[in-house]
Amino acid sequence: MTRLVRAELLKIRRRQATYVLFVILLILTAVVFIAGGRFWTISGLVSFPQAYATFFFQTIYQLGSLIAIVFAAAYVGADWNWGVLRTIVARGEGRERYLVAKFIALAIVLAIALLVMFAAGFVLTFLQSVLYGIPMASPLRADGLQDLVVWIVVGFPVLLQRAAIGFAVAAIFRSQLAGAVVGIVLFLVESVLTTILTLLSATSGLGSGIGNGLDSGIQPVGPEWFQFLPVTIGGNVLGALPGGGGLDSTDLSSILLKPVPFSIAMACVLLYLVVALAIALIALRRQEIA
Amino acid sequence: MTADPGGNATADSPPLSSADLAVATRGLVKSYGRHKALVGLDMSVPRGRVYGFLGPNGSGKTTALRLLTGLLRPSAGTIALFGTPYTWHDRKRLFQVGSLIETPSFYPYLSGRENLLVLSAAGPLTDPKRIDQVLDYVGMSGRSKDAVQTYSLGMKQRLGIAAAMLSDPALLLLDEPANGLDPGGIVAMRETLRYFTESLGKTVVISSHQLHEVELLADVVGIIDQGRLLREGDLQQLLSDAGRVKVRVAPDEMARAAEVLGRLAPGRPLYGVDSGEQAGWFTVGTSPNRAAEINRALVEAGIFASGLEPGSDLESVFLELTGSGAAVHDRPSDAAHMGGPLPPQMPGTAS
Repeated sequence: MTRLVRAELLKIRRRQATYVLFVILLILTAVVFIAGGRFWTISGLVSFPQAYATFFFQTIYQLGSLIAIVFAAAYVGADWNWGVLRTIVARGEGRERYLVAKFIALAIVLAIALLVMFAAGFVLTFLQSVLYGIPMASPLRADGLQDLVVWIVVGFPVLLQRAAIGFAVAAIFRSQLAGAVVGIVLFLVESVLTTILTLLSATSGLGSGIGNGLDSGIQPVGPEWFQFLPVTIGGNVLGALPGGGGLDSTDLSSILLKPVPFSIAMACVLLYLVVALAIALIALRRQEIA
Repeated sequence: MTADPGGNATADSPPLSSADLAVATRGLVKSYGRHKALVGLDMSVPRGRVYGFLGPNGSGKTTALRLLTGLLRPSAGTIALFGTPYTWHDRKRLFQVGSLIETPSFYPYLSGRENLLVLSAAGPLTDPKRIDQVLDYVGMSGRSKDAVQTYSLGMKQRLGIAAAMLSDPALLLLDEPANGLDPGGIVAMRETLRYFTESLGKTVVISSHQLHEVELLADVVGIIDQGRLLREGDLQQLLSDAGRVKVRVAPDEMARAAEVLGRLAPGRPLYGVDSGEQAGWFTVGTSPNRAAEINRALVEAGIFASGLEPGSDLESVFLELTGSGAAVHDRPSDAAHMGGPLPPQMPGTAS
C-alpha cells in the first residue's frame, strides 16, 4: 500500500492541474479577502481571530470545497480518461487497494493544501489589516492559536468529505468531467435547496410564533431533516467551531434553525465520507474496464 | 476444437488443466446484451511459444485478451492460466501476465520512466532496476526522461511493450504490438519476443490482423472470426495444409479462366483482381505442387498465363477461413492482388 500511495503522490505532484487549481483558489481567496475587507471593517470583524475565521469559513471551506470536488474528480477520473486503469488492473493490482491508495493520497494532498492556505491566510489577514488600518492582535497568542488548530483539525474532515463526493461521482461515471460537474451541481443544488427549505421551515415556525406574541422574536426551529444532507451537515460542523457561530450570523440557517449537535454533525460527516468511499469502491469492483 | 455447453473440454481438445498450456479457454462467452462478442471460444496456447491470435476487426480478439486480464467478466466458460483455473478478481494470478491491451495508455505529463515507476508500484513487487532494463530492451533509454505527451505513436507503443515486460512475466499478451512501429522497431520487437520465448522460455500471445508479421513470428496460430475460433494449430502445419497458386491471365480472359480454375479446385477459395494494375491475377487455394497442372489446364482451354507463382501463406489460410479479403491488406505488394476479391465462383461461370 505504501508504494501505491507514494506512486499516487508522484502523479499528483507532477500534474500541472494540481497547481493550477491551487493557484485559482489562492487568487479567488485573495480577491474575496481583500475586496471584502471593507465590509468586514465596517462590521468590526477585522480583528484576530475573527478575521482569520472569516478567511477560513468564507473561502477555504466554501470555494475550497468546490475546488476540492473538482480536484478529486479530475484526479480519480483521469485514470479512466487516459486508460491507465486498464494497465493497472491488468497488472494484477487490487481495484479496492488502488482506489484506497488514491483516496489516502488525496487526503494527504488536501491536508497539505489546507496548511499552505493556512499560512497564506496569515499573510492575507495582515495585508487586510494594513490596507484598512485596523490594528490586529497577534494570531500566535495562546487562545487564538488554539482556535486555528481546532479549525484545521475539525474542518479537514468536512473538506475531505466534500472532496469524496467528486471522487465517488467520478468513479461511478468513469470520467473527470462528469465527476467535477455532477459534484459541483450537487454541492450548489443542495445549498440552494437547503436555503429554500430553511425559509419554508422558518415561515411555518413564525406562524406558530405569532400566537405567542412577536416580542418573543424569531424562534429557531429544528433540527430539520435537510440539515443532515451531505453539504449542509458539514456547515453545521463548521458553525459549531469557535468563532464560527459569530460568522454564521450572516447565514440564515443559524438564525432560523437550531443547529445539529456538534458530535452528531461530525459523526454524520464521517459517515458520509465512508459511504462515498464505499460507493466508489463498489462501483470500481463491479465495473468492466473497456 | 469444441466444448460442451458447460465449457468443458471435449475429446478433441486438451484438458483445461493441462500443464503444457499457458492459456486455455473453454466455451468462453462474452455477451453485451443481445450481442455476443465471443461465442464459446476454445483457445489453447502452448507454453514457451509465440501464439498468433488472428482475426478481422471486431472478431473478438481484444475482448478475449480483456477477459484474460480480468478487465471483463466472462458471461460463461472457463479460463486456465498455466494449468490452474483463473476467475474474475483472482488478481494475483495476473502477476504472471504482462499485457498491452489495445492502445498503450500512460499519464501524458509523466516521463516514460516515471510512468514505468508508477506502474511498478502496482501489482507484483518489481525491482526498480528492471525499469532501466526494459527501457533498454525497447530502445527507449534515450527518451525515457521526456514527457510521454511528446512521444510519437511508435514510441508509446515501445513503452507499452516495456510496461508489459516490467514484472518479468511468464506470459505476454500483446494486442497489435506492431502498431505505429517503424520497420526498425518491428524487427527489434520481433527479436525481443523471439528471445523471450526461445531463450527465457516465456510465452507470447500476439493479437493482430497483420498477417505478415504474425507469419514471421508465430509458432502457433489461432484464427478467430465473429467470436469463434475457426482454426488453431501449428503455423507450419497450417501453411502446408493450405497452399495457394497465383496465376495471371489477360483481363479479358478472366471469366473463362475462373471457370477452368474453379473446375480444378472445386470448393476451394478463388480470388481474382478484375481491375487496376494487378488485373488478371487469380489466387487459387490449392497445393503449390499443382502449379504445372493449372498451367496445362489453362493452355488446354486456350488461355496463356503470363505469371505463375506457387506458394503458401497465412493470408490464404486466413481468407479461406474468414472470407474477409478486404481485411487483410497489410502488405503493399499483396494489397493489389487482393484488392478486388471475386466470390469463390465468378458470376456466369460453371460450378
